[in-house]
Amino acid sequence: MEFYFALATLFGFRILLGLSAYVVILTGQISMAQAGFYALGAYTAGAATALWGWPIVPAVLLGAIVGAVFGFLVGFPALRVRGLFLVIATLAFTEIVRMVFLNLKYTIRVGDRTIGPAAAEGFRGITYYFENGWSSLQIAGFTWLFVLAVLLAFWLMDRSRAGVVLRAVGEDELAASSVGINLTAAKVSAMTLGGLVAGLAGALYAHYATYLSQEEFGVLLASFAVAYPLIGGTGSVLGPIAGVLFFSLLIDGLRFLGDWRNLLFGVLIVAMMNVRPHGIIDVRLVRRLAALLRPAPKRAYAGD
Amino acid sequence: MTDLAIDVVQQLLNGFLFGSSYALIGIGFTMIFGVMDKLNLAFAVTGLAGAYTGLLLFHLTRGPFILVFLMAVAAAGLIGLVIELACFRWMPRDYPLAPLMATMGMLFFVDEVVSHATHGRPMAFPAPMGQVMMDVGPWLVRGDLGFMFLVSLAVMGALWALVYKTRLGLATRAVSQQPVAAQLCGIGLTRVNAAVFIITGMVGGVAGTLIGSAVGNLSPLLSLPLTVKGLVTAVLGGLGSIPGAIVAGLLLGIVEYEALYFFGIGYRDMVTYLLLFAFLVFRPGGLFGQRVGR
Amino acid sequence: MKVLARVALFTIIVVGLVAAPLWEPVAAQERVLKVAGVGAMSGVIRGFGINSKAVFDMVVDEINKAGGVRLADGTRAKIVGTFLDERCNAEEGISVVRKLASEDWLVLIGPTCSNVAEPLFGILQRKVGDAGDSGLQFPIFTDTAIKPGLAKISEWAFRNVPHEPTMYNHLFKWLKEKHPNLKTVYGGVETDFAHSNSNWFTSMKNAATAAGFEVLGEEKWLLNDTEFSTQVGKWRRAKPDIIAISSHPFTTCGVLREMKRQGVKPKVMAGLTSTATLETMAGCGPEAEGLIIPTGFAPVTPEAKRVADIVAKQYKGNVDLHSAAVYENMYVLKKVIETSGVEAKPTTLAQDRKRIRDGLAKVTEFDGLLGKIKRLDDRESVKPYVFAVAKNSDWAVLFDPR
Repeated sequence: MEFYFALATLFGFRILLGLSAYVVILTGQISMAQAGFYALGAYTAGAATALWGWPIVPAVLLGAIVGAVFGFLVGFPALRVRGLFLVIATLAFTEIVRMVFLNLKYTIRVGDRTIGPAAAEGFRGITYYFENGWSSLQIAGFTWLFVLAVLLAFWLMDRSRAGVVLRAVGEDELAASSVGINLTAAKVSAMTLGGLVAGLAGALYAHYATYLSQEEFGVLLASFAVAYPLIGGTGSVLGPIAGVLFFSLLIDGLRFLGDWRNLLFGVLIVAMMNVRPHGIIDVRLVRRLAALLRPAPKRAYAGD
Repeated sequence: MTDLAIDVVQQLLNGFLFGSSYALIGIGFTMIFGVMDKLNLAFAVTGLAGAYTGLLLFHLTRGPFILVFLMAVAAAGLIGLVIELACFRWMPRDYPLAPLMATMGMLFFVDEVVSHATHGRPMAFPAPMGQVMMDVGPWLVRGDLGFMFLVSLAVMGALWALVYKTRLGLATRAVSQQPVAAQLCGIGLTRVNAAVFIITGMVGGVAGTLIGSAVGNLSPLLSLPLTVKGLVTAVLGGLGSIPGAIVAGLLLGIVEYEALYFFGIGYRDMVTYLLLFAFLVFRPGGLFGQRVGR
Repeated sequence: MKVLARVALFTIIVVGLVAAPLWEPVAAQERVLKVAGVGAMSGVIRGFGINSKAVFDMVVDEINKAGGVRLADGTRAKIVGTFLDERCNAEEGISVVRKLASEDWLVLIGPTCSNVAEPLFGILQRKVGDAGDSGLQFPIFTDTAIKPGLAKISEWAFRNVPHEPTMYNHLFKWLKEKHPNLKTVYGGVETDFAHSNSNWFTSMKNAATAAGFEVLGEEKWLLNDTEFSTQVGKWRRAKPDIIAISSHPFTTCGVLREMKRQGVKPKVMAGLTSTATLETMAGCGPEAEGLIIPTGFAPVTPEAKRVADIVAKQYKGNVDLHSAAVYENMYVLKKVIETSGVEAKPTTLAQDRKRIRDGLAKVTEFDGLLGKIKRLDDRESVKPYVFAVAKNSDWAVLFDPR
């Protein structure tokens, strides 16, 4: 059981990372900056509990806020660029963050150990959970509190005007702006929200892993953040969850295949995209499900 | 002359020369992403896989370098075709993110095949010009990188001629801009796409072999950095502009080397990426971009 | 409602699919000792994992063939092993170890990567018996991850990796005696890899200074770099007598090539202990000629030769300074299990893990493949070593201090 709680925790921050990329994708953009926000959230929240002795809740919230602030800061200039240009610009941001942490050295003695970000040696000793005797169930519950909150918020947002605005910007910017949607506001808020959620995910990751090292927060993580919603589908907030489940199934579920596991990993992504190019839970599936779940309205045909 | 001046110029030379490897890989990316409008992340890894195939032939036959080169180019062309089949042929044409993800899967797959075949070890790659060093005054110039620069110019010329002077090039541009109209004009969509992928695969093979012999080793460690640097170069040059890719590659090399000299290794990439970010924000279309943002 | 039922069914199937491969029936076998191995079996670091696994399989078979391990009540139990992939990824390593710990595995050997070992040790209980600490109580005995000072993170963490400060102190002292006319050392370091970075700054540099050399400085590069003209150019100008390179095979090879190209010929070259492997020889044997590296393993004793032969022939792996530790660890574990009253019953799992931990903590010395291995108070080893030198694209023993 212990293990499943740990797994649930892992899924938790992966889903949050996926959701953070999802909200940006809704506006029709691919951002590789999520890994950078994640790293910023992780290092900040880790420093807050391990170095400054903060309790966990404000520390995690601080991580999320730092993510949001950087999301906002990156969102503004990045507005000017689109498509692949934005991909590269945001990738540059992630790499810059990583390089900052490769150089950042700020350690203090706490009791009998030296902890804190130690440049290339990484940030050791983020052991808040264990020091306070949290069980795996508590850790998983704590993580999922945030996951559910974000899921609920996104679910409601999808159903509100805000969600429609974001999707409209994603579908067709020109059309969206011609009906009076403020593109700047939409895009920057998507980016800020994405930063917030990614920072939150990183903060939770830091306490799960107890150790942070810059090499974990590179291009690969950024690609996975985007891959979760793209594989899972962007039709609903359930998409990134499906994506996380898909990847985690490939990573942990195929373990019995031994050496073949990683070969199959790539092949299955290719196969999946061929079978469901718009992701597992795409817009069409969501509409169909919604139609099924709702009492069917009387059909009206054009000829009636 | 002072040491500083000598060093700065030496770094300029080194950066310029090493930048030609960025240029070479960037041309491929700009060709695929810009001219042909296909999002193929597996391009760099195709070239590497080709180089590995060449290396396999080398280990079997101990043949001359030219044989290794031809084998690599042929194999990369073939892998290009496989990628077209697996990641593009049956994908919806109006949703480029699907093939993008699929080619990312392909990147992981090819990388892992290589890791399996070689146990992840770096493998020595034949480098006929590996030790050629030219003294130019107080400066040193690497022969193989100089050669690479010339090759990237040649590849640029060949691709330009292909895209703008041949029927295939015309067909390619037609297919990427107006697939339906192109089909109505009697252009075989499948055939043109296959040809395009074989040709770009071969360009990748050229890049893979030359980079392999400049590095001296092949390792799966190369694939992700090459992909990233290739993309950066293509975007910086203005997607779709082949001369732009060359200029961008050389510029990137020079910036990296000067940043290394003045700020040290820890800040080299930071400075480079900061400049890149700033540049893209102030000139969103890249160096030679006509169409802003795509 | 039918639709809701369908959705529910779908959810159940998905959950089942996720859970099914993770669930392994606890076999009703009696009295076996379950020992797990963890290493990188995929990606670029895969070679290390393959070697560790080969040695792991070999030593499990060998112990079982010889009758297994004696338990507290005198019965003999066979070792049941498994070897899992951590992909050199922290998240995956944690997930694997949590799985093993939640099942009935007694002790773990591994992992390969230091960036996995750090969080693994981090999720362990920090001080034994601290009831307020909910970290895992699961002994880990590392063979490969070599970044200095890791075992002090938790009292459940043990390592049997070469002690770099000792080795490099000796190496530089030996170099000074052997070549009294050599004066200067220039370093080269791969800075974004924790092990190579800290090895230069905490072992090599200090060792060279202590031996009376003048350290001129260090040139730095990153793990993924492929071109080193700038760094080697500095060496060319400084003309040091000794160049000490603290980096892994891929970049070491690149640097050695560039040195040849620029005609930099120091009188002595020294390397990082993790580079004394076949990888380097496959990558750049000819260029590495003359590179001196202290290493914790070489087939210089009959026992070492025997193990290396069996592993190479029957298990398709190489015994090197990293994987040799798997063999040593397993025999220490056998001894600890036999002397600390391990019962290997399903009901005594927690006690048995504690017994193994306490037993391991008490060991002060044991037999390794090259000779006696001393245990330190911070749960690290001081291992016998030899100085290897690259010769004709293979490693030869240059000096054997044992």
